[in-house]
Amino acid sequence: MNSDLTPRLDKAFAALADPTRRAILSRLAIGEATVSELMAPFALTQPTISKHLKVLEEAGFIERGRDAQRRPRKLVTPALHDVADWIEPFRRQWETRLNNLDRHLASLNKETD
Amino acid sequence: MPPRTNSTTEVNLVVDRVAHKITLTRDLAGSREQVFEAWTRPEQVAVWWDPSGAPLAECQIDLRPGGGFRFVNQGPSGAHPFSGVYREIAPPIRLVFDALGSLGTVLLEDVGGRTQLTVTIACTSAEHLDQFLQMGVADGTAQTLDNLVAFIASKRG
Repeated sequence: MNSDLTPRLDKAFAALADPTRRAILSRLAIGEATVSELMAPFALTQPTISKHLKVLEEAGFIERGRDAQRRPRKLVTPALHDVADWIEPFRRQWETRLNNLDRHLASLNKETD
Repeated sequence: MPPRTNSTTEVNLVVDRVAHKITLTRDLAGSREQVFEAWTRPEQVAVWWDPSGAPLAECQIDLRPGGGFRFVNQGPSGAHPFSGVYREIAPPIRLVFDALGSLGTVLLEDVGGRTQLTVTIACTSAEHLDQFLQMGVADGTAQTLDNLVAFIASKRG
């Protein structure tokens, strides 16, 4: 197994654990935004927002855009896909299995009706 | 990880790395008694356990606390049976078992004649949980997936 995985996921999940940071990611999913644009809906101070942005940056979820003046933040989608991909096969497997179970139960009830 | 919810007929998965616990929920078309039997009668488990849809090649269940179970898929994936030991049997509400280092709990709630199924897989650490989930991610072979599920909740042998 990839020994880098656990620390990487620790960082990613720690970053995702905070509701403000998840809200920031949701906002950035619509498009890039500057720090002041991000501050507006959250009623947080600039240092607080910056701290959240730093955590998201270190987890690899966001990066700074090209415009050096505005320094807009934008989403790094591959990092989010990593987290989704980590779980998806497992989810799919159980989805299929429990669909089988549901079908099995439905067939039992059909027989007894 | 926030749950991915689609419709009520699909499985809802929550992975809590801090508590190193995986929780799956799904609404099922049957009474709790029926669902409990589907999880504990070998002739029924054999029908639905393998996600491929094929019946199990072997399905043994010794349904008592301390009793063992063993599910073996057909074909190459059957090389990695899922086996474990029952810890608690409380029909039609709860089934608890140990398997491959994790503790699995099946909880059934009556929802107007249908059943809300909750499967919880408690791992010993976040790393344990990562390994087990990653086994299914590494590649798509049935064998890898078998290791994964075996480890987890119930089984796919």
